[in-house]
Amino acid sequence: MTATPEVAAPLAQRAWVEQIMGMPISVHVRGTTRPGEVADAAVQRVFEELRWVDATFSPYLEDSELRRLQRGAITLEQCDPTMTQVQQLCLTAHERTEGYFDAWACSDLGPGLFDPTGLVKSWAVARAARHLRGAGLDDFALNAGGDIVLSTADDAPAWQIGIEDPADTRRMLATVPIRDGAIATSGRAARGAHIVNPMTGERRSPLAAATVIGPSLVWADVFATAAIARGDSARDWVSGLSGTSGLLVWADGATHTWGNAV
Amino acid sequence: MKNNKITSANAIQYPTGNSRDVMIASYAVPTLNSEAVQAQSANISMVSGATYTSNGYLQSLQSALNQARL
Repeated sequence: MTATPEVAAPLAQRAWVEQIMGMPISVHVRGTTRPGEVADAAVQRVFEELRWVDATFSPYLEDSELRRLQRGAITLEQCDPTMTQVQQLCLTAHERTEGYFDAWACSDLGPGLFDPTGLVKSWAVARAARHLRGAGLDDFALNAGGDIVLSTADDAPAWQIGIEDPADTRRMLATVPIRDGAIATSGRAARGAHIVNPMTGERRSPLAAATVIGPSLVWADVFATAAIARGDSARDWVSGLSGTSGLLVWADGATHTWGNAV
Repeated sequence: MKNNKITSANAIQYPTGNSRDVMIASYAVPTLNSEAVQAQSANISMVSGATYTSNGYLQSLQSALNQARL
């Protein structure tokens, strides 16, 4: 493992995968400069933390902190401090999407219930990536059910990311290189129409998928979700998302790409 | 953009940050594939899609890409 790779040799790349929060979490690590055990241990810490997040924030587990908070069995102050952090993020998300991301309008369990599920996954994954960085890994991709955090070593090529075709998920509709940052896609390909327009209660959208690329996975995810909720007006709205790029796909196959300076 | 790295021409627009900030200040626009692109031939490692679930994983493109590296 200590041999210096030849310049032209392809980078060694290893993958790990684990099913957590009902979705596949895939980690790919490139390069050979860190011993394998270091990467193994770091990846296991990522998985452990995501299991903890699931146990704490799951809307499906009756004894999760989130469910107990929703039932009024405990107060926000009695929750893990991350519950307050997530709630603050949801408030900011509501503001930054002009109300189209609304963690108080999406729970099936009751009107007005706080349900941060639409943001928790990307928040947790972005946060868990610190275990990889902390272990000295600087060339990795962490993919949680299609939402990805990426880091590229200075001497390595950008990660090439495929964007799935919502009309045929075996096919890749587009490709994008990303060095450091995140990409998130929302839509109805895998789970049907699960995104509600909080303004109207409408679950149908003329958009089949929205992909946002930017420095932060949480905001890429929130913006992609809000774009689906918005529908046709997302086309104009994304032009104001500074420092992002992305792709909108309509149900009829029409597409719109953008790239905005900071 | 040259080899996906920001050149000095771009850097001038963002004079306040260090070079790392300049690197992440701008993102490439997705390129539409004219026809079905094979993940392996395009050197793709990761697939972004509408939140796929554990149930759909085995059929997913990402599963195939992971299998090659596990």
